[in-house]
Amino acid sequence: MTLSPEIILLSMVAAYILAKLFKISTELSMFFAALAGALAGGAGIPARHIAEGAFTYLDIILIFITATFFMNLLKESGGVAFVIRGILRKFHHSKILLFLLLTLILLIPGALTGAGSVTVLITGGMIAVVLGYMGLSRPRTAAIVFIIAGLSAAAPPVSLWAMLTAAGVNMPYVGFFLPLLIPCVLLSLLTIFILGWKGKRVDLDKALKELPEAPDKMNWLRVILPFVAFFFLIAAGRVWPHSLPIVGLPLMFVVSALLSLLLSPIRLSVFRIARDTIRQLLPLIGTLTCVGILVQIMTLTGVRGLIAVTVVTLPVFIVVATLALTLPVSEAVLMWGAAPVLGVPLVLLFNTIGLNPIVALAGMSVIWPLGDALPPTAIIGRLTKDTVHMEEPYREMLKHCLIPAVLIAVVGTLMVLFSKKLAFLTML
Amino acid sequence: MITVMYYILAAAVAVLLMINFLRSKKWQDEILYLIVLLPFILRLLRLK
Amino acid sequence: MKDHAATLRKTAFSLLALVVLISAGLQFYRHRNLREPVVLGPGVTDVKNLSDYFDGISGTINDAHVYVLEGEEPGGAILVLGGSHPEEPAGRLAAWIFAENAVVQKGRLFLILSTNRSATTVTRLGGAYPTDYSIETNFGSRTFRMGDRWSNPLDQWPDPEIYIHYPSRQELAYIDIRNINRTWPGRPHGTLTEQTCFAMTELIKKEGIDIVIDLHEAELQYPVISTIVAHSKGQDLAAFSSMMISGMEGFNIGMENSPEALRGLSHREIGDHTDAISLLLEAPEPFLDATRGRTDRKLLLEGKDRFIVRAGKHGLLFEKIDENGWPIALRVGRHCSTLLQIFELWTEEKADRGLVVSGVPRYSDIVDRGVGAFLKNPATADPNRIVYE
Ligand SMILES: [Zn+2]
Repeated sequence: MTLSPEIILLSMVAAYILAKLFKISTELSMFFAALAGALAGGAGIPARHIAEGAFTYLDIILIFITATFFMNLLKESGGVAFVIRGILRKFHHSKILLFLLLTLILLIPGALTGAGSVTVLITGGMIAVVLGYMGLSRPRTAAIVFIIAGLSAAAPPVSLWAMLTAAGVNMPYVGFFLPLLIPCVLLSLLTIFILGWKGKRVDLDKALKELPEAPDKMNWLRVILPFVAFFFLIAAGRVWPHSLPIVGLPLMFVVSALLSLLLSPIRLSVFRIARDTIRQLLPLIGTLTCVGILVQIMTLTGVRGLIAVTVVTLPVFIVVATLALTLPVSEAVLMWGAAPVLGVPLVLLFNTIGLNPIVALAGMSVIWPLGDALPPTAIIGRLTKDTVHMEEPYREMLKHCLIPAVLIAVVGTLMVLFSKKLAFLTML
Repeated sequence: MITVMYYILAAAVAVLLMINFLRSKKWQDEILYLIVLLPFILRLLRLK
Repeated sequence: MKDHAATLRKTAFSLLALVVLISAGLQFYRHRNLREPVVLGPGVTDVKNLSDYFDGISGTINDAHVYVLEGEEPGGAILVLGGSHPEEPAGRLAAWIFAENAVVQKGRLFLILSTNRSATTVTRLGGAYPTDYSIETNFGSRTFRMGDRWSNPLDQWPDPEIYIHYPSRQELAYIDIRNINRTWPGRPHGTLTEQTCFAMTELIKKEGIDIVIDLHEAELQYPVISTIVAHSKGQDLAAFSSMMISGMEGFNIGMENSPEALRGLSHREIGDHTDAISLLLEAPEPFLDATRGRTDRKLLLEGKDRFIVRAGKHGLLFEKIDENGWPIALRVGRHCSTLLQIFELWTEEKADRGLVVSGVPRYSDIVDRGVGAFLKNPATADPNRIVYE
């Protein structure tokens, strides 16, 4: 006798809550929920499915590790302090210019890699320091970094939700550039101006006194060259995709890391930094691995189908009206797994009822990253809290996220609703 | 050529995960290190 | 004392992890190395390899067998591709039935059973597929590898952050660089998947292939289903075939044009880059639907699922489904009959380039007697007539 997916889902939820009650971390609670699901589903302890699920985000984990390693090297070599000092010196007189620059710096890493966590790890810390000198509280700063990091992940050229869903419905990844770029840039600017409006002009002398000194020999060239190498490799892959070998993001970050190591004015303890990087990332890569296992077990036992069929068979107006709820929640539980689980059936549904699938999917992609602040995983939310060294309770950050989150949800939903009218943005 | 570098990268990560596992003091972190390690080992053994 | 406990704990955890590692590793190894026999039918006159057409692929996992069935009478040449997407088993099984049963009187038939062999050795991450499935026969059962839509990362790693198709430069999702139905027409110095397509493009050119037919299956929530997708060169042939099948074979199949804007697909690029007509057949496979319930061999072979039925009642599907599901025999039968009808209509139209085939069961035969009735027993076959995929 096999239990129905409904009961298996209940036992997974029960196992998760039970694990949480025993003060077990979110990552491991998800792992135990997966084990409970497999047992309830009559699959025993399915070693192959555990291992296969654990593979799901292997390449993304490699990106996180190499990108963070690169940033940590840069930080230890004094490059980060050098850049912050430079930005403050040049732009301290104009809040508007400073905000525009900070938004750009926050958007680029996530836009190129498709991962908001890369934005948080690579530039989030620096930006937070600058915002701090403008008198913004830590939770407010964290909210700015988190929201823009999420939008950077959705921003083109690489938006993993749009890409994975498009592949799932056999659509080329074409026509997404403007439908993703325009809302992401506008909403990022709105966020930093709304949340940062109370910011004062930077007291330059005070800031320069307090900030750690960069090593004497540090200069712009030493900081910039590793980034130049990274952007060159990305650009080269796009300009000459058929005459160059495929490098892949992890190796690009390794190249940048090696360069910053070579160019560092001080000797760096590579082995220690590498070890610390792994330790720092354990919650993130652990969550990714456990989510992969969870999704595999949910698929195996039919729980995934239960969730998908329940969502897509709701009346269409409810589906659209609750996107701002279902997408972030699916993201909070499954992360990118939400794209195949919910994104694919939803886009097919929208296509069936005559909406423009590209614009609708772009609208969904803008909403999805909001879920990264929500439990159970709250992965990028937690990462942001740590990166900006916020001591206050986590909910303080969420409070500040509320206004931009509502704006994002409204914009995204309207994009789905009016996707047909906005179809010109795809330029197809 | 580039593929070989990815195997080296995976091996480096696997070694770091093992070292951190051995140095870890918390049982929850230990389990997590092993779970994360699993796909790296299987890839290095060219099983998956 | 405390140290001692920690060591003990770490050892225990490591042992547990080792058990999972070994157990999973063994299953992955068995999957990748499962040998699938092909009992060469009386019509197979030669077994070539893709590397005979493009040396760059020799020694790789994707150097697939090319089964040649040549008739006494000269005629045209048709290439049938099974296993472009090995997660769609009906395509491979239909090609298998041809390889083990078909006899060609006129013209030449080329069959590839593992178009993307690498993708037959891996299953989709998060998809919880079984690693294999067995077809019942009266001598026991025949077991086949279940596969994925994408080449195995063991054979092609890493992926770029975005996949730019050659030669159109259209942008596609990064994973589709391992999707062989997105890498046509291929290139000699590209990835393994692109090289495989290049080898097949060379085969099409060197053998003067008239028609290429690529066998697929699709989820019911996907609009392109139960249809023949045709390059503009094959429009009439596909339209006539669809009419004839709906009238004669006991099932309905539609016809649609290959969209200009979708690059890298066989029905687009083969037609554009070679003299051949390119067609692609889609049969319904509930196993691929995102709303499917429990994922197992039963669903794969019987195609029954109550969640998908529920989605159908809400008008979300492009093919009907009821409690009888979509058994594998129906899906394989559809492919076999559609192929035969295309061959027959083509031969009527172009007598000098015709292909006359006999010995292959039609839809009604396979539905009545099952797929297994048309698979041969490797144990009693002449060992010289067995090839492994
Ligand atoms: Zn297919």
